[in-house]
Amino acid sequence: MTTANDVLSALQSAFPGAIEDAKVDPERQLWATIKPDKIVDVCKYLRDNHNFDHYSGAAGVDKINEGLFEVTELLASHGAHQVVALLKVKTPRDNPSVKSLTGLFWNANWYEREIWEMLGINFEDHPELYPLLLSDELVGVWPWRKDYKGYPDYTTAERAIERINSEGYMEYHIPPTEAEIEAGTVPVERPKYPSLREREEMEIKGESEMILHLGPQHAVVPGPFLLDLLVDGERVKKAFLDVGYIHKGIEKIMENRTYVQGIPITDRLCYMAALTNNEAYCGSVERLLGIEAPERAQYIRMILEELSRIQSHLLGTGEFLTLIGSAVFCPFLYMIIDREDVLTCIESVTGARINHSFVRFGGVRNDLPDGFKDMTLDVLKKVRQKTEEYKELFLSDSIYNKRMEGVGVLSPSEARRLGVSGPPLRASDTPYDMRREDPYLLYKEMDFDVITRKEGDSKARIEVRLDEIVESCYIIEQCLDQIPSGPIQEKLPKRIKPDPGEAYYRVEDHRGEMGFFVVSDGSDKPVKVKARGPVYAYFQALPPLLEGTYIADVVAIAGSMDACTSEVDR
Amino acid sequence: MGISDVIPLPVVVDEELEKWTIWGKPLTDVWFTTTEKIHEIIEMGPIKNVLNWGRKNSLWFLMQPMGCCGVEMLVFGCPPYDCDRFGIFPRATPRQVDVMIISGYITRKYLPAIKNLWEQIPEPKWVMAIGECAISGGPFYDSYNIINNTGRFFPIDVYVPGCPPRPEKFIEGFRGLQEKIKQREDKRGY
Repeated sequence: MTTANDVLSALQSAFPGAIEDAKVDPERQLWATIKPDKIVDVCKYLRDNHNFDHYSGAAGVDKINEGLFEVTELLASHGAHQVVALLKVKTPRDNPSVKSLTGLFWNANWYEREIWEMLGINFEDHPELYPLLLSDELVGVWPWRKDYKGYPDYTTAERAIERINSEGYMEYHIPPTEAEIEAGTVPVERPKYPSLREREEMEIKGESEMILHLGPQHAVVPGPFLLDLLVDGERVKKAFLDVGYIHKGIEKIMENRTYVQGIPITDRLCYMAALTNNEAYCGSVERLLGIEAPERAQYIRMILEELSRIQSHLLGTGEFLTLIGSAVFCPFLYMIIDREDVLTCIESVTGARINHSFVRFGGVRNDLPDGFKDMTLDVLKKVRQKTEEYKELFLSDSIYNKRMEGVGVLSPSEARRLGVSGPPLRASDTPYDMRREDPYLLYKEMDFDVITRKEGDSKARIEVRLDEIVESCYIIEQCLDQIPSGPIQEKLPKRIKPDPGEAYYRVEDHRGEMGFFVVSDGSDKPVKVKARGPVYAYFQALPPLLEGTYIADVVAIAGSMDACTSEVDR
Repeated sequence: MGISDVIPLPVVVDEELEKWTIWGKPLTDVWFTTTEKIHEIIEMGPIKNVLNWGRKNSLWFLMQPMGCCGVEMLVFGCPPYDCDRFGIFPRATPRQVDVMIISGYITRKYLPAIKNLWEQIPEPKWVMAIGECAISGGPFYDSYNIINNTGRFFPIDVYVPGCPPRPEKFIEGFRGLQEKIKQREDKRGY
């Protein structure tokens, strides 16, 4: 079994002098600073020789006191070993530039684009350095830099001016804030790039091709995003995705709140997975603080996160069934009724239906109420019975089978290359589950199966979700049996000030791998909080998945991913 | 111009009709009228109450989930809360709806699109702001990308606070809108 120390010693012997201040902390995480000119070689070496085939994301940190930008690349493996490599590259603050990893990992594209548009770090050899989340007016001001004067901004609406743009569409011009004008930080020269429309029109080759717009508001999308399809007749030749319609700047906001004030913000990151987002954020801050929650609190967290997984899968599956046609509309209505029962269980503990802010550093907010066990067991019995019923219902429906079989097939190698995680990856025959892979809480004591399917099509993805509901029921029953009595909260000071350092903590979200990367400088506010979400990876994988399909299948493919736009845009 | 010029009537009847009034106006004025005048008359008379009664009992809303409140909006349209019993019904296209629900954060990039949606909705139309983000920016009030005063762009009749509000609150919000339409107190004045 490869351990982090093995990888570190191999790296040091292969690249003498290129690795600075490396450490292994905790046992499965390898932190190292790499010389900027060696980063591509190091990553290539790790990918080819040590099975680091999962590019998990990148985070840019603005270290204004040292006059540096730091880009941290997160590398992991799809099941060969459990080491996470966090490789840091430093670049000077004036004229920052880092080598791009898009040549090695296809899915590095979006992560690097995001860092470019937010921090202004140039990525050499990046094929398409265009803005992803921001509107054109904000490109070039680099909003995530620490010296950006446009935050906080309380008067956005008052400053808006309505006008007609050159293409004849209405748009709003929002001039810079007074603070920005006073400080003289309004950029004179903006970066130049082709707009989305121009990029689309460049691709049109023949007379018979046209662009079909889906969104930003569309009957089948789960939130606002723009999906433009270049179609030739009924075939999709190329798909273009434009996101950022609900970009809230969560990571910037969390840098300006204290650690505890950050918890409610993580709820709103993805409203279907509020508890796991809390868990990921609190887990990484707990690592910084060097504490661990008491055993009872860990059990309560597991129970609630699994209940939350059930409700998310029920809604995700039900919503998808309505999207692909009214023939299977009624299961949605039944699933919502089941989901209400599950929500009642969660609500009896947390007091909220969707945004809980329940998980705290070193514990949880409340204890389980009286009668929780009986109520939950009743609900689980019902959910399990109903799930079996749904499966029977779908599998016996010939229309459903014809609609879903062989649609949007992701082969195992393709799924790994595109960087998807969670149910879509497991439907492609890759048993990659954080609860098994990187066990957090007490999952290593639990008995459960990682559900996989061989087919990799839309139908398999739905089946994985339905089976996971049953598996979650099983985990909750074990937890309810084994839960000990005891305290639910560690003693902590009122003002939380972790020691300077970084921490990365990943959990299995309902949709895949969710990780939080937190950097502290010893004050009561984090320097940087990076949320690595699963849906971001799905969205990036969507355009290549849609190429060559029929227009009618676009919804069947995009919907089966169970997307959540809020988490993509953050 | 008398009525007998159009319809063959005895002169006596015509002279008699000219003395008649309807809601304080000569009958001939009402008879040879224009669309605007019809609207004026509807505005004056109790017939408006009948129209508004119909409108308030068939408020179809635009299914346009934007954030956390969008999930509760989905549930609000489903059996446990059953909005159909109030004549409230989700629709997927702006061409078929009466009410637009702003159910989340409006950003710089989305503002023109949502304004466009609002302009596509045929009259009569109303708009509701549901959730803290739609009202004032919510937890993201100081962000560089959030429009934190939606009321400046839309004539919002009902604000439903909550983060997110429960589906029961949605019902309360719609009941408030119905009451406003009934009392003729809505912002656009139907």
